[in-house]
Amino acid sequence: MSGEASSSQVGETEERKICANGGCVQTETIEAKLDAGNFDQAESALREGLSLNSEEARALLGRLEYQRGNVEAALRVFEGIDLQAAIQRLQSCSTEKISKKGRAGPQQGANLVLEAIYLKTKSLQKLNRVNDAAEECKKVLDGVEKIFPQGIPDVFVETKLQETISRAVELLPELWKQAGCYHEAISSYRRTLLSQWNLDNECCARIQNKFAVFLLYSGVEAVTPSTAAHVDGTYVPKNNLEEAILLLMICMRKFSLGKAKWDPTVIEHLTFALSLCSQTPVLAKQIEEVTPGVIHRVDLWKTLALCFNGDGERKPAFDLLKKALHPHERPDDITSLLLASKICSEEGLLAAQGIEYAQRAVNNCKKRNKHLEGVCLRVLGLCLGKQASVSASDHERSRLQSEALKSLDEAVGLEPENLDLIFELAIQYAMQRNLNNALRLAKKYIDATGGSMLRGWRLLALILSAQQRFQEAEVVTDAALDETAKWDQGPLLRMKAKLRISQSRHLDAIETYRHLLALIQAQKKSYGPLQSTHQIEDDRVNEYEVWQGLANLYSSLSRWKDAEICLGKARAIIECSSETLHTEGTIYQRRGEIDDALAAYVNALLVEPNYVPSKISIGSIMSSRGLPMLPVARTLLSDALRLEPTNRMAWLHLGFVHKLDGRLSDAIDSFQAASMLEESDPIESFNSIL
Amino acid sequence: MSTEQQVSWSDSFSQAQTAIQSLATILPAVPPPVSASNTPAIALLTDPDLAAQISNHLRQPDSGAGDNQLCRWLYDTFHTSKSDLQLVVLRFLPIIAGVYLSRIPHRKPLAGFEAVLLAIYAHETTSRNGQATTINIPDLSNPSIYHETTKHHPYRNNSTELNPVVVSPGLEPQGTIRSTKRARIIGVALELYHSRIVDMPVKSKLDFCEFCVIWAGQNGDFYRDFPNIGEIDDEIEDGKGENGELSKEKMEGRVLLPWEMLQPILRILGHCLMGINKKSKENVELYEAACCASRSLYARALHDINPKAILAIGSLLKLVKFSSLCVDHTELPVTNVINL
Repeated sequence: MSGEASSSQVGETEERKICANGGCVQTETIEAKLDAGNFDQAESALREGLSLNSEEARALLGRLEYQRGNVEAALRVFEGIDLQAAIQRLQSCSTEKISKKGRAGPQQGANLVLEAIYLKTKSLQKLNRVNDAAEECKKVLDGVEKIFPQGIPDVFVETKLQETISRAVELLPELWKQAGCYHEAISSYRRTLLSQWNLDNECCARIQNKFAVFLLYSGVEAVTPSTAAHVDGTYVPKNNLEEAILLLMICMRKFSLGKAKWDPTVIEHLTFALSLCSQTPVLAKQIEEVTPGVIHRVDLWKTLALCFNGDGERKPAFDLLKKALHPHERPDDITSLLLASKICSEEGLLAAQGIEYAQRAVNNCKKRNKHLEGVCLRVLGLCLGKQASVSASDHERSRLQSEALKSLDEAVGLEPENLDLIFELAIQYAMQRNLNNALRLAKKYIDATGGSMLRGWRLLALILSAQQRFQEAEVVTDAALDETAKWDQGPLLRMKAKLRISQSRHLDAIETYRHLLALIQAQKKSYGPLQSTHQIEDDRVNEYEVWQGLANLYSSLSRWKDAEICLGKARAIIECSSETLHTEGTIYQRRGEIDDALAAYVNALLVEPNYVPSKISIGSIMSSRGLPMLPVARTLLSDALRLEPTNRMAWLHLGFVHKLDGRLSDAIDSFQAASMLEESDPIESFNSIL
Repeated sequence: MSTEQQVSWSDSFSQAQTAIQSLATILPAVPPPVSASNTPAIALLTDPDLAAQISNHLRQPDSGAGDNQLCRWLYDTFHTSKSDLQLVVLRFLPIIAGVYLSRIPHRKPLAGFEAVLLAIYAHETTSRNGQATTINIPDLSNPSIYHETTKHHPYRNNSTELNPVVVSPGLEPQGTIRSTKRARIIGVALELYHSRIVDMPVKSKLDFCEFCVIWAGQNGDFYRDFPNIGEIDDEIEDGKGENGELSKEKMEGRVLLPWEMLQPILRILGHCLMGINKKSKENVELYEAACCASRSLYARALHDINPKAILAIGSLLKLVKFSSLCVDHTELPVTNVINL
C-alpha cells in the first residue's frame, strides 16, 4: 500500500487531483474552498465536477479533511451524512446489480460510503473516543455483511472496497482492546479469522499474529471458540496458549510457503510461548523450517543450540555451537562460548575443548561483558574439574584440580552472592577430599538457600558420610526428609538406607529400602504419563537401583535366596547390566564358587568394559592364584585406578599384589592410600548430585 | 437482579466493609475514600493511599511474623472466598513474596507471610483439583479451525494423537511450607496472580517488576540496546560507585530462580511488556519498569546459563526492540491522486 503511494509520487506529476466518473477536479481548489469555510461550495464543486451525489461528495470532503489531519473537521463532515440510509440503499441494489456484473456505479458508491464510516472511525480513534470508534467500525463490518449477505464476491478482491474492508476488519479488535473491552476484542478477532472477508494472506497473517499476541499476554482468558460450525476432526484449541501457538505456527507456515512477508516478531512470540512450556524441540522444528537466509546462520545455530540444550540434548547443541564458534563465524560470541563450555563441563570427553572455550570466554568478557567474568571463570573451573576427573596421570590431575579450585575461587570472589557457584565449589573441594572446606561451603549453601534445594542437603550428608560421621549424616538426612514432600523423598531414602548399612544396621536399612519401594510403587500408580516430562524426574530414584541395592545388602548378610529374588526383580527391569552381573559374581564368590564368580565378573566387563568393581574383583581373584597370575592382577587393578583414582578397594588389592610380588615399599604406599581413602569415602559418589 | 444475586452482593459488600473495619485497627488511618466507599472491595483494591500504607507496613522489619496483624488480616481476607477480596490480597503478592524470599537466609520469623502464601496455594490446589495444567501442542498437519490441510490424514483425524504437555504440574496439599517446596508454592501463587492480572492495579505490577530486578540480583543496563551489547562507559561505573549502597542492597535480595518460579514470573513480565495499553501514562511507567526487569533477568539467565530462560527473555527483549518499528496498517495511504 505504501508502495502504491510512493510509486504514484514518483511516477506522476506533483499535481494533486481527484478523478471519478471521467471527470477530474484539482484537490487544491476544493481545499481552498474548505479553508475559506465554504463547505457547500466545495460540495457542489465535487458534485458537478465528478458527477457524484451529495452523500458521495461529502464523503470525499471528509476524506480530504482527514488526510490533511483536520480530524475534527472530518468528523463533523462524516456526522452530517446519513450512512445507515446509504447502506440500506446499497443493500437493495447490490443484490440485483453487483451479483450480475460488478461495475463502477454501485461499487464506487459502496466504497465511498464504507470508507466514510471507516474514516469516521479513524477520526474518533484519533480523538481518543475509542468506544465510539469501535461502535462505528463495527457498523462498517455489519454494513458489509448486509450489503453482501452471501460473502464478498470474488470480483472485489483487488478493489478499493476490499481494501477498506480489510482495514476495518484489522482495526476493530484493536479498538476494542484500546477501549478495554477485551471480550469484544476476542470475538471480533474470531469473527475476522473465522468468516470470509477475502483477506489477503499478508493481512490475515498480521491479524493472526496480533490475536496471538493478545492471547499470549493480555491475561484475559478467552472462551473456547464455538465448534458448532466446524467439521468433525478439526482441531479446536482449548485455551489461550494453545490458540496462540496454533496461530503463530500458521503464520510461520505462511512465511515459509512465501504467502506472506516475513515478520520477525512472529518467531519471537513463538519462542517465548514454546520455551515457557519447555517445548524447545518443537521450537527447533519451527526454526528449521524457516526459509534459509531469513535468519542469519550464526543466530540460527545459536538459537537451535539453545533449543536442544533446553531439552537436555547436549550433543546436537554442542555440534551447532562448534559451528557458530568457528573462527570464520563468531568465535567470540559470549553466549555461545558460555553455553558450549557449560555443555563440555558435563561431559568428560569434551572437557578439554570446554577449557579452550571457557578460556576464550574469560579473555573475551574483559572487553565487553565484564559482568560475565564470574560466570566465565565458573565454567572454566567446572571444565578443569571435569578434565581432572578423566585425566590419566596423577601429576596432570592434581595440576588441573588446583587450577579448577583457583578458577572457582576467583569466580566466587567476583560473585559472592551466586549460590550455584558456592555449591559447585563445595563439590569441587569434596571431590578432592578437602572435606573441611567442602563442609563449610555446603553449610553456607543450605543457610543461604534456606534449605530449599534438595541437592544441598544431599551434599551435606555425603560430606559427613565421607568424614565417617554417619550418625550426623543420618540426622541431616532426616532433617531433609522433613523439608521434602513425600514424592521427592526417593534419593534421601536411598541415602538413608546406605547410611544405615555403613553403620552395620542392616535390618534398619532393609526397612528403609522397603519404605523406598513402597514410594516407588505409589509413584508408578499415581503419576500418569504426564508427570514424566517434568524436571522432578531427575530426582526420582529408579526401581532398578533399589532392587540392586537390596540384593547387595542381602548378599552381604549371606541371605542368598533373598538376594536372588532381588536380583531377579532387577533383571526384570534391566535385563543385562554390569551391576547385576557383578552382584551375582559376589554371591558366587562369597559361597566359594570361584569359577562361576569369575564368569559373572567377566560378563559384567563384556557389558561395560570400564566397569571398575568387576575389574577389581577379577584382579583380587587373580592375585590369589599364585605368582604367574600376579601381572594380570596388577594390570587390572592399575586399570581400575586409572578409571577411579580414589577407589579404596583397588588400592587395597594392589597393595596385596605388590606384597606378594615382594615390592614392599610399593605395598606400603598402596595400603596407606587405601586406609586414607577409607576415611574419606562418601556413601555415594559426589558426582551423583551434580 | 434475582434475590440470590442480591443476597450475595450484599454479603460481599458487608464482608468488604468488615475487612475495612478490621483494617482500621491495624493501620494508622484508613483513607476516608475507602471507608466511605459504596464499592468497598474496589476501593480496597485501587486506593493508592491505602496501598501505600499496606505496602509500607509489609516492608517493616518485623512484618512477616506469625502474630503480625496485617498478615492475619490478609489471611482472613483471602479466606472470605470472595473473588474481589481475594484480588485485594493478591494485589500485595509481589511484596509479600519479595520480602519473604529476601528474609529466608536471615532466619527471621516468617509464619505470617507463610500463612498467606499457603492460603493462596491451597485455594489454587482446590480450584484445580490438584490437577496439572496441560496444553496440546498443535500439529499443523491436522486441520484446525484456523487452517485447512490439503493432505488428508485418515489415520490421525482425532485428538487422541495429541500429546499433552505440562505447563504447571499437579499440586499436592501442603500444610506447612517445606523448604524444598517453597519455590513451587510461590510459583503457584504467582500463577494465580497472573490469571487475575487484568484486574490488577498498575502499582502492584510495578512492585512485581521491582522485585524481579532484586531477585535477579543483576544489573541489566548492558542490554538497553539488545541484541547489541552496550559498552560499559565510565559514567555507569561512576554511577555504581555513588549508588553503592543501593546496588549492594539489590545484591542481597538475589534468590535462586528455579523454573517453577521463573516460568510464572516470565508470564507476568510478558503481560507487563506486551499485554498492556501503552497509551496510558501509568502504563508507560510500567512498560519501562518491565523492560528494566527483563534486562536484569536476561543478565541473570546468562549467569545461570539457563537456555530456556535465555530464549524466552531474549525474545522479549527483541520484541521490545521491534515494537519501536511498528507500522500502522489500518491507516489510509495518502496519495496525490484520488481515484474513485
